[in-house]
Amino acid sequence: MLKVWAIIKRILVSILPSVVAVALAFGVGALLLLVAGKHPGEAFLTLFMGALGSPNRIAETLVRAVPLMILALGISIAFKSQIWNIGGDGQFMMGATCAVFVGLNLNLPLVLLWPVTFLAAFIGGGLWGGLAGLMRAKFNANEVITTLMLNYIAMHLLSWLIRGPMIDPLGQGFPQTALLAQSVHLPIIFGGTRLHFGLVIGLLIMAAGYFFWRTTVGLKIELVGESEHVARYCGIQVPKTIILTMFISAGLAGIAGWNEVFGVQYRLLDDISSGFGNLAIVVALLGNLHPLGIVISAFFFAALMVGGNTMQLMVGIPFSLVTVIQGLVIIFVISRVVYTQWRDRLAIRRFNSGVSGQSSGRSH
Amino acid sequence: MQSDVLTVGFLVSLLAGAIRLSIPILLPALGEIFTQRSGILNLGLEGIMLMGALGGFAGTFFTHNLWIGLLCAVLVGMLFSLIMAFLSITVKANQVIAGTALTILGTGLSAFLFRAIFGIQKLPPQVESFQPLKFPILTDIPVLGPIFFNHNILVYLTFVLVIVTAVVLEKTTFGLKVRAVGENPKAADSKGIHVQLVRYICVAIGGAYAGLGGAFLSIGFMNTFLDRMVSGRGFIAVAVVIFARWNPYRALAAALLFGGADALQMRLQAIGVPIPHQFLLALPYVLTILVLVSVSKKAEFPAAYTLPYTRAER
Amino acid sequence: MQELAVKMQEITKVFKGVVANDCVDFQLKKASINGLLGENGAGKTTLMNILFGLYQPESGTISVNGTQVVIDSPSKAMSIGIGMVHQHFMLVRPMTVTENIMLGMPSKRRPFLDTARVESELIELSQRYNLKVDPKARIWQLSVGEQQRVEILSVLYRGTEILILDEPTAVLTPQEANHLFDVLRIMRTDGKSIILISHKLEDVLAIANEVTVLRDGQLVGQAQVTAETTKRDLTNMMVGRDVLFKFDNQDSALGKIKLVAEGISAKNDKGLMALNKISISLRAGEVVGIAGVDGNGQKELCEVLTGLRTMLSGKVTLNGKDLTERNPKEFIKSGIAHIPEDRHKTGLALNFSLSKNFILKEFDSSRFSRRGFLNFKAIKENAELRMAEYKIKAKEHGVKAKDLSGGNQQKVILARELSSRPEVIIANQPTRGLDIGATEYVRQKLLEEKAKGVGVLLISADLEEIRQLSDRIAVIYEGRIMGILDKSASIEQIGLLMAGVEAEGVEVC
Repeated sequence: MLKVWAIIKRILVSILPSVVAVALAFGVGALLLLVAGKHPGEAFLTLFMGALGSPNRIAETLVRAVPLMILALGISIAFKSQIWNIGGDGQFMMGATCAVFVGLNLNLPLVLLWPVTFLAAFIGGGLWGGLAGLMRAKFNANEVITTLMLNYIAMHLLSWLIRGPMIDPLGQGFPQTALLAQSVHLPIIFGGTRLHFGLVIGLLIMAAGYFFWRTTVGLKIELVGESEHVARYCGIQVPKTIILTMFISAGLAGIAGWNEVFGVQYRLLDDISSGFGNLAIVVALLGNLHPLGIVISAFFFAALMVGGNTMQLMVGIPFSLVTVIQGLVIIFVISRVVYTQWRDRLAIRRFNSGVSGQSSGRSH
Repeated sequence: MQSDVLTVGFLVSLLAGAIRLSIPILLPALGEIFTQRSGILNLGLEGIMLMGALGGFAGTFFTHNLWIGLLCAVLVGMLFSLIMAFLSITVKANQVIAGTALTILGTGLSAFLFRAIFGIQKLPPQVESFQPLKFPILTDIPVLGPIFFNHNILVYLTFVLVIVTAVVLEKTTFGLKVRAVGENPKAADSKGIHVQLVRYICVAIGGAYAGLGGAFLSIGFMNTFLDRMVSGRGFIAVAVVIFARWNPYRALAAALLFGGADALQMRLQAIGVPIPHQFLLALPYVLTILVLVSVSKKAEFPAAYTLPYTRAER
Repeated sequence: MQELAVKMQEITKVFKGVVANDCVDFQLKKASINGLLGENGAGKTTLMNILFGLYQPESGTISVNGTQVVIDSPSKAMSIGIGMVHQHFMLVRPMTVTENIMLGMPSKRRPFLDTARVESELIELSQRYNLKVDPKARIWQLSVGEQQRVEILSVLYRGTEILILDEPTAVLTPQEANHLFDVLRIMRTDGKSIILISHKLEDVLAIANEVTVLRDGQLVGQAQVTAETTKRDLTNMMVGRDVLFKFDNQDSALGKIKLVAEGISAKNDKGLMALNKISISLRAGEVVGIAGVDGNGQKELCEVLTGLRTMLSGKVTLNGKDLTERNPKEFIKSGIAHIPEDRHKTGLALNFSLSKNFILKEFDSSRFSRRGFLNFKAIKENAELRMAEYKIKAKEHGVKAKDLSGGNQQKVILARELSSRPEVIIANQPTRGLDIGATEYVRQKLLEEKAKGVGVLLISADLEEIRQLSDRIAVIYEGRIMGILDKSASIEQIGLLMAGVEAEGVEVC
């Protein structure tokens, strides 16, 4: 019984900084609302109800949470290796694009189509990210900038494809691809909502993520993140590992894209990644780069997104407030070190003077 | 249509446009040179520029004075960048994450505040931005006149800042301190230099320049504030700094290159060259990647790049 | 009564529960040289860092020239005439000598730099004290000895009257060290007061007026250095026992040749030639010591012999197997163990647990993994075995490597490298920065391996260590082996080769 309580206490302690950060971020958000002349209580209530107020709303939140958590898992793998993959959006888009391309053009029975398009999405996203990994490994090009630039390039590429070569012949010129056949849509698992089978797939992927860190590949990636120098000394081929890490990370982003097109949109659109990329970074960090933390964190931020949209529609508060809260959460999370630093310094000073008190007693 | 491209008129317009469009990249790049030379990588430039753009616009709108607006932009940029300084220097957080957070915050906050201040209107609020200066004889010189002597004062100010930046870094005691702090903070500390303070100042300088860069967009180029107006220039500026190997003159050349790509893309679209316009839109970003790939291998980063400094007590 | 330049009383300094200075008294007479002696970890550098304002003591007082002062920063120290030349130079590599010296000093042409004037003043100063260096040169272009001159000029330029030198001869050849002592004598005559931190007895006997000995953070004693003072006396004070290290270093029967390096040339990280057609061979059951001043190619030699650096030309073979152009993994698998120079930067994953650190090089082997998944049980058992075998002091196997003391950290590295039952061990500065206990342990372990028939290549800047442990001594200078001496060679002989002086009748490989 004591052991269970110890575990719970440990989890609570590790969550506390994140909870405090979120509370602070909302606090500042509330201040901003007051400055703008709006009522924070009303705003946040709408936010909460919009996300969790009914089964339908909860289902909607879950729908948003799934791609977010898969994307965040991918990002966490890169981040753990100290590779700053900011290209989630672009990799998501490329994965979705490859999935839709294959899905529209390959006539396969369902049982095969899903795995094939899944693979296409993984490879499509993976290559887009692997490219940045290659540039970092071979040319020392800063991956933050390259992945970011690739985001913009992917966005424009997608824009061209859905207005040009992949445009929906029945869409009357609207920027979108044709619809994927009804039969290949992921089945809805909760009647009356948009919640689809992707949730199950997503959770399975998260579980796989947990076990990933117990593999030799996972340790290799972790070691490269700890120190490239030490990794090299241990015989690890660092450039190859970097490329592999980016490939896996981006591949997962691609799968998140697959999930979105096969479960929700059923076609490609300009806005297919709807800013998941940036948000996933926040989710990954808040979840401490740990699969379980990411699941919780993804749900929370999905709620924020869904609630934020409702807030905008119902109470006229711009969605940018949610962006502000996102930014603040990251800032407060990474600042939590200040508290522990200050606390440690105090402890050490007290400890040291205690020890020196003893010693000067001793030799004099 | 292709023939339109090869006229003198097109070239003149292109080069003038290149100069104009280089400014929103050059200004944040110059500031970032200070920041990076002191050892800090500030990826929050995008957010700072947006806040600066808003500050400049709002300041001008309410005081009907462009110069006060400019001052507002600089102050806003400096204050906002202090968040980055606090996170990287005092909290010693990971600079990449801190910078990204700042960009997200700046993007959201600028959009939110704009809505809060100006509300939703049919037509976006506007101001009269800085007008191009007319020089007595110089502006009328054929070809060279329209290219070099037909810009607003911010453009010329920026060129002056290029020289100021170079002189400060290479020829002043402050510049020496900055360079030492970025290369070997321990050595600087042992010579009595306050490493944290120097870095704070450099980040603030970077914020001031970035705020100025944002202001250029809102009150020197367009006449309003749009929440998408920076569109990645803050990040391109970081690439420029590395490409220029932290030298202000090379940064000028690089910024002109990027400005040129941007200007080219606009003009080719207007003419109707049969390339899908998305490819042209992507051009600056592709260029950034190519540039980064070609330089990064040989670039000698300041030795203390992104490494926070503590006077190590064992 | 001669006034004291510095008087430190009852100084106590504690780091994270470890008492580095325990109620220490220290006195420096004017216009004299005081040798501050002690083994690694005795507290010498800590005490001087306090005098220089880098650390604040928990308790105690400091008086300079008779006046009590509180020194809360290096600038305060410099303003009262105290200057310090650190063991690891505080120089900015891409900048020039003049720029480095101007750093932190007010300029007469404020805010602009006053380069020309400072340059001429430097030339004057360097002539006065015989410290020749080109003010326009950039630091990375200078040799280590020249860089030290820049450091000394830097403190002199600031009007230092009280000079602290931290292990200045660690990076010098014996001849360069003598030159330094000449410079110090000039300064002493000029009225300057000098503190020389060292763990080398020869230095102190050569130049100091007085000696202060610290041991384990406490003051052991302060005494005059006279003609009768012997190394034995000093050693006794430093270590508390008569002779430092006595090893059972028997001549084991030399086995077959294991490692052969032939004609290796390689560049360093800056693109300059670091190894110049270097050749060396290592037999089973033999310790070959590589002596030389830091920066003459030792690091690159290590890296080439472990696959971490590409060669421009040459060959490396182990037991006849050609390892040239292979990646580090091959070297590891073939049985080359590597104790790296920098245990924090290279040897350990500081944020990883001990158990993971023990298996860093073999986690994908069948012992510790099964079909791609790590076998945590096996990893834990291995860790517990090693911790017992090597007497590593840590709470349990899950502790992070960074929380261990230096000595224990080095033991972890030893455990990892030696338990793979290597053919050859390449040990680069294996006892640097360790206390006496740990140092003895490491040296003992290396000799044990030698007795088992392993070939040991020992690279060390500590000549004593080389002479005690090696069967043959190779001297490296500017990327070449200047000569290979027998273990009975004298310090003078070794020193000459270290300085690049070609000698006749000396075997080269």
